[in-house]
Amino acid sequence: MAWLGVDVGGTFTDLVLFDRDARELKILKTPSTAQNQSEGILTGIDKLGIAPAKIDRMVHGTTVATNTALERDGARMAVVVTAGHKDVLVVGRGNRMSVYNIKAPPMRPLVLRSQCIEVRERIRVDGTILTPLDEAEVDAIGQRLFDEGVDAVAVCFLHAYANPVHERQCAERLAKWLPHATITTSADVLPEFREYERFSTTALNAYVAPRMRRYLGDLRAKLADAGMTARLAIMTSNGGSLPARRVEDMPVLSMLSGPAGGVIAASFVGKTAKYPDLITCDIGGTSADVCLVRAGEFAMTTEGRVGAFPIKIRQIDINSIGIGGGSIASLATGGFLSVGPRSAGARPGPACYGRGGTEATLTDANVLLGRLGTDKPLGGEIALDRGAAEAAVASLATQLGLTPVAMAEGILRIAAVSLAGAIKEVSVMRGIDPRDFVLFPFGGAGPLHAAEVATELGMQTVVVPPLPGNFSALGLLIADVRRDFVRTRVSQTASTDIADVRAALQDLLHDGEAELADAGFPLDQRRFSASLDMRYLGQSFELSVPVALDATSITDIERAFGEVYAARYGGTNNAVIEIVSYRLAAWGLSEKPTLPTIERAGRSGSAAQTGSREAIFDGKARQTPIFDRNKLPPGYSVQGPALVEEGGSTTVIPPGWSVALDDIGCLVFKRN
Amino acid sequence: MVETIDPITLEVLTQALISTVREMRATVTRTASSVAIYDAKDFSCGLFGPDSQVVAQSEDIGSHVVPLPWSVRSAMAKLGDTLAPGDVILVNDPYTGGTHLNDVTIIYPVFREGRLIFFPAVRAHWADVGGMVPGSMSGKATEIYQEGIRIPPVKIIERGEMNAAALDLLLANMRVPEERLGDLQASISACRVAEMRIHEICERHGVEKLLEVVRLDLDRAEARMRACISGLPNGTSYYEDYLETFMGGKFEPLLLPLALTIEGDRMIADFTGASPQVPFPVNSTAAVSAASVFIAVKSIFDPKAPLNQGSFRPIEVIAPAGTIVNVQRPAPAGSHGEIRKRVIATMVGALAQVTPDRVAGDLCRTSFHNLLGGYDTRKKREWVHYEWSAGGNGAFAEDDGPSAMATIDWGDLVTVQSSEVMETRMPLIVESSRLAVDSGGAGTTRGGLSMQRAMRVLAPEARYSLLSDGAIVPAFGVLGGLSGFPVGSWIDRDGVIEDFDTPGKVAGHFVEEGATVVVRSAGGGGYGDPLLRAAERVASDVREGYVSANAAVRLYGVVLRADGSVDADATTRLRQRIRDARFTLAAVAAAESDVFEAGAVSRRRICRLNPADAAAGRFQEDELVEFDARLAAPLRAWVRIDRTIGRGTVPLGERALTILKIKAAEPVELRSVASSVRPKVELMEAAE
Repeated sequence: MAWLGVDVGGTFTDLVLFDRDARELKILKTPSTAQNQSEGILTGIDKLGIAPAKIDRMVHGTTVATNTALERDGARMAVVVTAGHKDVLVVGRGNRMSVYNIKAPPMRPLVLRSQCIEVRERIRVDGTILTPLDEAEVDAIGQRLFDEGVDAVAVCFLHAYANPVHERQCAERLAKWLPHATITTSADVLPEFREYERFSTTALNAYVAPRMRRYLGDLRAKLADAGMTARLAIMTSNGGSLPARRVEDMPVLSMLSGPAGGVIAASFVGKTAKYPDLITCDIGGTSADVCLVRAGEFAMTTEGRVGAFPIKIRQIDINSIGIGGGSIASLATGGFLSVGPRSAGARPGPACYGRGGTEATLTDANVLLGRLGTDKPLGGEIALDRGAAEAAVASLATQLGLTPVAMAEGILRIAAVSLAGAIKEVSVMRGIDPRDFVLFPFGGAGPLHAAEVATELGMQTVVVPPLPGNFSALGLLIADVRRDFVRTRVSQTASTDIADVRAALQDLLHDGEAELADAGFPLDQRRFSASLDMRYLGQSFELSVPVALDATSITDIERAFGEVYAARYGGTNNAVIEIVSYRLAAWGLSEKPTLPTIERAGRSGSAAQTGSREAIFDGKARQTPIFDRNKLPPGYSVQGPALVEEGGSTTVIPPGWSVALDDIGCLVFKRN
Repeated sequence: MVETIDPITLEVLTQALISTVREMRATVTRTASSVAIYDAKDFSCGLFGPDSQVVAQSEDIGSHVVPLPWSVRSAMAKLGDTLAPGDVILVNDPYTGGTHLNDVTIIYPVFREGRLIFFPAVRAHWADVGGMVPGSMSGKATEIYQEGIRIPPVKIIERGEMNAAALDLLLANMRVPEERLGDLQASISACRVAEMRIHEICERHGVEKLLEVVRLDLDRAEARMRACISGLPNGTSYYEDYLETFMGGKFEPLLLPLALTIEGDRMIADFTGASPQVPFPVNSTAAVSAASVFIAVKSIFDPKAPLNQGSFRPIEVIAPAGTIVNVQRPAPAGSHGEIRKRVIATMVGALAQVTPDRVAGDLCRTSFHNLLGGYDTRKKREWVHYEWSAGGNGAFAEDDGPSAMATIDWGDLVTVQSSEVMETRMPLIVESSRLAVDSGGAGTTRGGLSMQRAMRVLAPEARYSLLSDGAIVPAFGVLGGLSGFPVGSWIDRDGVIEDFDTPGKVAGHFVEEGATVVVRSAGGGGYGDPLLRAAERVASDVREGYVSANAAVRLYGVVLRADGSVDADATTRLRQRIRDARFTLAAVAAAESDVFEAGAVSRRRICRLNPADAAAGRFQEDELVEFDARLAAPLRAWVRIDRTIGRGTVPLGERALTILKIKAAEPVELRSVASSVRPKVELMEAAE
């Protein structure tokens, strides 16, 4: 039997298969099929040569939810809101998205204002009912939405986190009118206060749900037809996975489905390889994702966004920046040179793809400098045209009066500075010194740029994990099932009874147990951790404070808050402390694949060196040895400059660095 | 020795400087004590050269960061000769380059090889700096001494030693001194981080190379700004606007005139003729006024340009001392937001004559400070809700103006507070929080809508205060676009409306339990003739509830059928009828003195009308009207019915003709500003 991880990206669909009998990993890249991602997946499975019936676990990372939201290609949707508050989603928080611009465009909400429909009802802040739900109005709305043929409805009432009764009544009543529509309530998606963020998360969920349901339904049917009996699971933004039918109801949980896999794999491999403190740098075609992992734990956030829309779902704290292989280098008025965020994407792609791109991209610079070879097609699929890369870079170089080589090196340098900036945001800007971490690059282009990024930040060690080109897909096989629960209940610590805290956490625990039981986890494979969102009275944001499920006393909770606060802000004060929300993370632990062991047989320095090519470092062309990663013996040290190639990725070791493979197959390079 | 810098190193070092400033920001956020600093982000950071020029800034609140160089310059003028390593300067004096007293600035000289190379600086809003009320800013201040303690540039740290005497003196005059000490430390820490980074950059690249990069950055920003200005025709354009005050209960608009001259690649903004400063906290400093000119220019011409002093260089600002744009001792300077918005408005109005396609209708008008609070005898605690909902922004050639969104001088500040959070903290129920229909100025593209929020008081009693502009003189349109709604606020007792005698200025008005306070921010100005807006877009606005069916007919001339579709023939006929009915007079050249009238403090423009014309156009004495030739921004004036004026004519001075882009004897349209925003009764309908 085997486990399969499938990560669908913009250009490639990556598959990682773990054969449990042979205890080996197989990887494969196949072009993505944009129209219907499931076709590429089936092709990939076919190419892997595995009978679908032999797959007993399949985890999928998908961008369908995110793309549906970003491309505004979602449901015909309506939002039913509390009377007086129809503009919550239309206005947002009244902040300016484009500063210093007198022509900042107006907000483009996900839903037309006329489709935000008010209904008479009102719940007070304490959850008591001020105005009962007007059921006749709900019926009138149901009739209207039936006539209009909407296929998704978000029900968003004020203070529904405190009492969901009106939302539920409304949703049930509407369901009678709209039996085929997705109806989502805000209390179900995110029982947390602050209406704009909650409504936005709920509306996004409703907006992407019908398409996600169609996609996953189609994929499941195709897999079943092919003979697969295993339950399909989907990677979620919190670094866990959930059964596909849960994600059909809650697609908003899968917005970071793609990048999350890489972070999970990094934290797992990092722990195994004894690098528990690392910063990931996942560079793909159009963007790069960085994430800080400390003591094997990745950072989490509730401040996510999809396009302009906040999603308050708890998710991995991934910082994305528009730098990738396809990023275009260009010159603005006044001689300001920039790389990205404009990207050549997969079509036409970099000039060297020979698909009609003419502007210089990061990939073209790498080709010109000989860092990326042109003898083998990229990812086994795309032949690279060196002449086209040179022409594109030379054209920009002429405008700046530089040689093409200086231009190409400059493009790499500016990209490295931008990537370093993204890493500073998750480290230095939070009082964390990146030099205490190793840089952990993956994705097709990560290992190409890692040394330069590390140099920018003064980091001494770079660790390229096994299978960097398929690393996110590997993470899918590692992820545990995970679901996060939250409930807002605001109180000051001084007037809070510890019994109430425990009771609130028990309520969440109850939900967690139910979720895990439903996903088929026996008691001994369930894990839970709780935290409280707390702040000083008067503040408008909260810090997450870990607590025991059977928290012993309020004083202990206050002390824990003080410690978290001091660690983040450098001191505490004597103000009144508030508990705002209760959170629970529920894990269903899955068995992990074993990482490929390093067979020493057939490996040697001489076997590994497959050849050499001219590559340019610091303006000087050097004949640079090329090594095959799969033939490098552990512990064998190579001095830079050197290039290490493998399926799906090339690692660049510049002069002044040396590299060796460690016992579990990580390529570790350090500055001399 | 001058280093030659390749374009790659230039970008890399420029990014390193900007990244240093961002790290300063992160440090302040992490370590400050005032909620306004770490939460509302009411602070800004910058790196300055030894010649006091700002060389790098990040994404800060414009109103705050742009005036910073003026303070650095004054500090250098006073202390520059004696500066030594280990010195740190503290300053908050509005009269020498500051904003208001709450904005306290730390200036931190960095030396390398015995040479002064940079000043990192932090300006942060301290929650209290002493003065007559907690929080220091009072709408009732008549002198600066009531607004807190004034700190001229002083060395708060001298050669590494804290100046304990000065610090004691300061903290003894502020509320919650331990919090203020925390704020001070936060700013100093941020500067220390910058110092460390600057030394790291110098070690890696060399100080000469870094300084050369700074020089190049300033020069290329300057070149970019000069290129923008050079594209404009030479000449002087004008505009004028008003601050609103009440003196002894009587409305007194304070005139702010602008003469904007373009000379090749230079721009000169001259505010000569501005109203004298007044003993209310509406005055502002020369630094704030100049910064506001710059914010307008940047926002109109080059939003994406990196922010440094090079881009200020081609712009000169003349702000006469002792006026509302250059306040002198002892007048108060607490509320500088209103001058900022008026300066930006005059810049928009003047540039509308030069390059109408690049401007937008006037925006938001005001900072709109509402305070509702009191003592909750049930919960035994004080509560205050501070409400600053943004208004609509001006429409522009390409699109409608954004509704309820922070203006260009406010960075990315959040302006719509969560109703759920308000109800959690305050004894209030937010009955409604909606865009106000018809509040955006009508136009070919429509101004953004106002935010209207109704808050019912659940405590035994409360007091309501409002310090706002734009309650009488609304945001103007451009190229024939109409005004947005003025700011409004009233008390609603189950449908019985109580209005205020002094709109925009309310102090501690009693509100009993169960009454609802309704506040409505300003609407944005329209752009272009509303009769030219595509009828389908008007129909869509009606369907979406942005425009009422009534306004569609009256302002846009669009006739809709019962099903909401456009009746094209009826619309064409109605639009022609409205066009024909527009009230025009012939402009007659007059002396400036004949078209202005002196008030208690300031002059204001008047529109002298023959009684027959006033009757024909249904204009009332003292009504606010606007002249418009639909070629730029309209010109506001107050009606004076005057038998000496020839029938069918209206006297206009040189400036007025320039503003309207017409010559004497040419026709000029006259319209009531109030009528274009609908009568009061209808406003109340919108309030429901």
